[in-house]
Amino acid sequence: MGLTEDYSERGPDTRSGQAIAYLQENYRTYALIAPVALFLLAVVGYPILQTFRLSLYEAPASSSIKTFVGLQNYAQIFTSDIFYQLLWQTGRWIVVAVALKTILGLLIALHLKGNIKGRKFFRTAFLIPWGIPYAISAVVFRWIEHPQYGYLNSILLKLGLIHERIGILGSPDIAWLGVVVADVWIGMPFMAIIFLAGLQSIPEQLYEAAAVDGAEKWSQFRYITLPQLKDVLFIATLLSTIWTFVSFDVIWTMTGGGPVNTTATLVIWIYKTAFDQGNLGLGAAYSVIGFFILAVFAIIYLRVYTSGGEEL
Amino acid sequence: MPHDTDESSENSIDRRQLLGALGAGGLVTIAGCGGGGNNSDGTTSGDGDKETVQFLTMGVGDNIKSFFEENNTAFEEEYGVNLEFTSVTWGNAQSTVNNRVEGGKAPDVARWPARWIPQMVGKDALEPLDDLMQGDFLDRFPSGISDGVRYQDHYYGVPWAASNKCLYYNKDVFEKAGLDPENPSLDSWEDMLAAAKQIKTSDNVSTPALGLAGADAIETASQYYHYHWSYGADLVDDDNNPVVNTSEAADALDFYAGLSTEYGVTQSSPLSSTRQDIRQLFEAGEIGMVIGHVYTGLNIESAKEKDEADFNYGIVQVPKGPAGRYSLFTIDSVTVFSQTEVKDLAYDLIKFYFDEERRFQYSKQKGFLPVTKAVSERDYFTESGNWAPFVEASQYARARPKLKQFGQFNNRMVQAIQETLAGQKSAQAALDSAQADLEELMSE
Repeated sequence: MGLTEDYSERGPDTRSGQAIAYLQENYRTYALIAPVALFLLAVVGYPILQTFRLSLYEAPASSSIKTFVGLQNYAQIFTSDIFYQLLWQTGRWIVVAVALKTILGLLIALHLKGNIKGRKFFRTAFLIPWGIPYAISAVVFRWIEHPQYGYLNSILLKLGLIHERIGILGSPDIAWLGVVVADVWIGMPFMAIIFLAGLQSIPEQLYEAAAVDGAEKWSQFRYITLPQLKDVLFIATLLSTIWTFVSFDVIWTMTGGGPVNTTATLVIWIYKTAFDQGNLGLGAAYSVIGFFILAVFAIIYLRVYTSGGEEL
Repeated sequence: MPHDTDESSENSIDRRQLLGALGAGGLVTIAGCGGGGNNSDGTTSGDGDKETVQFLTMGVGDNIKSFFEENNTAFEEEYGVNLEFTSVTWGNAQSTVNNRVEGGKAPDVARWPARWIPQMVGKDALEPLDDLMQGDFLDRFPSGISDGVRYQDHYYGVPWAASNKCLYYNKDVFEKAGLDPENPSLDSWEDMLAAAKQIKTSDNVSTPALGLAGADAIETASQYYHYHWSYGADLVDDDNNPVVNTSEAADALDFYAGLSTEYGVTQSSPLSSTRQDIRQLFEAGEIGMVIGHVYTGLNIESAKEKDEADFNYGIVQVPKGPAGRYSLFTIDSVTVFSQTEVKDLAYDLIKFYFDEERRFQYSKQKGFLPVTKAVSERDYFTESGNWAPFVEASQYARARPKLKQFGQFNNRMVQAIQETLAGQKSAQAALDSAQADLEELMSE
């Protein structure tokens, strides 16, 4: 690239000249990403803009007539009790599910990193839940937790832990936990594999040096593993949070958001509002709110993450 | 079964949002029946100059597939046309129809639940069939059934099949509990509750006495409406205004929920049990009583033939309440779409399928109640232990109101049922809150 370097060193005289020079240098990169960028604009950007627009209309699904109502849909949402119930349930769902996936994934990764017999088998086996379609896993868990036919009730009865069958997914108090269990089972392998990759990139010499200095296992984990794994932890939990936030199939398949809406999250409610109730405008407004919640979370999260000067 | 298990949505969605995305998703072509003629306008054919008529139906299972194959071929030969026959799953049915209508690709003829008629009429998608539904053709249907396809003083369909419900009881369970299995006292809800209490307290029986649906599913309301109506409550008044929170309705819902919350005579966790769950429990001999369709008995008979079931059961009428006895009635209709360009051929197809013998074979093979007088009076139905109670139940059968927003209406009722079953609200409070929401819904 001698010519480019020569040109850069000489430097263009004007701002437009600089732009031309920059494009001359980078046009191949833009040409290569252009098809993907255009595709994303078409299939992601346009629907997002349409959703924003639709949220300002009263748009019954049963009619092709839309009426502009401004921010009325948003006012309706913010003054409704269900919205705050959904916020609480969505937050609870994300925090508990992501925390469990992270902790269990890390525990599994730490053990798979060790030199145990059958390590390859276990590494493969732990990926299986992630490879099964989510809806199928959800159906399996629904049956496991079924009050009449489910294994769980049979086992608990035989162990004498319960005296009569309980309907986990039918109880407004604990149904969400029944769904969380399925989601954790499905999402944990991804976390474990990501963490395992991160763990394997930590130089072994650090542990050897720490051992020579007399550091216990916990100290090694606290002062070597966790700091070295920080990047991976941040990215994995960010991705897991986003995926858990938008998770639909597990909840929908297991409970449909019930009983009495106690397992409904914002995403479930968007579907119910738009397609069950046929209120496309209100459903779009919920979608926009969800979009901003996720965007704000991601920005804050990344700001915190990059506050030390790191760059993704 | 005429479809009353249905989908969560009773609405179409905006053309630009869903057209093309959902429509083809669930299509399963059962029989091409002619080879050519795939033109979407249904008027021309790849097979010479033959006309093509498109017939869309739903839920064609193995038990009825050959019936359609044979008769579609016979129709093609008799009329010298192509018949493009398509079946979709129930889960995809409504979106398929809506998308085809919105996209200007409606089938010529479709068989579907009659309660979808108001919504389609609202889109001007259906052809009034008053010129077909008159005279001898109309007279073959009992008025209660033909009224099921009548909307705004027009017939928009021809009744295709019907279903209603009765109360099944497990004779073996009754006998073990000291109840008379041959002449059970199950005439009223109170009788049913008394029997259920006796089953519950019997040392010889561990089977739950009664199946109660309470899951977040549309069928939960279908099961509950028997109680609602029999207590003298209604869903809407004559002007289609919601009236779901009367004191009678509160009593009905209180009783329904109390079967679980107060008396504990149901299976565990009704809130997670769909109608299908409790039916399957009964069919497996694991519950004492359940309100079910005719096919529940047919399924048990089929299981017995394969040595997969070994218990005796009986069928009685749905118990009566303070204001009478009602059995939820569902009608499937066959309709002609206004986009059709082969209306005469569509009429020919309908008349062809309403040949009496074809109607008989269809009801017999599929397990649907016959919709014509001549077929329902046949010995096969009137003298069968499985069919006769359902034929009798037609006398007090009652259909859900025809509302454009019935899907949303029904979902809101399910929420009220769940709130009461979960103990979150009293029956009256749950229905008051539902009433307020429904008034808003119906005013839109």
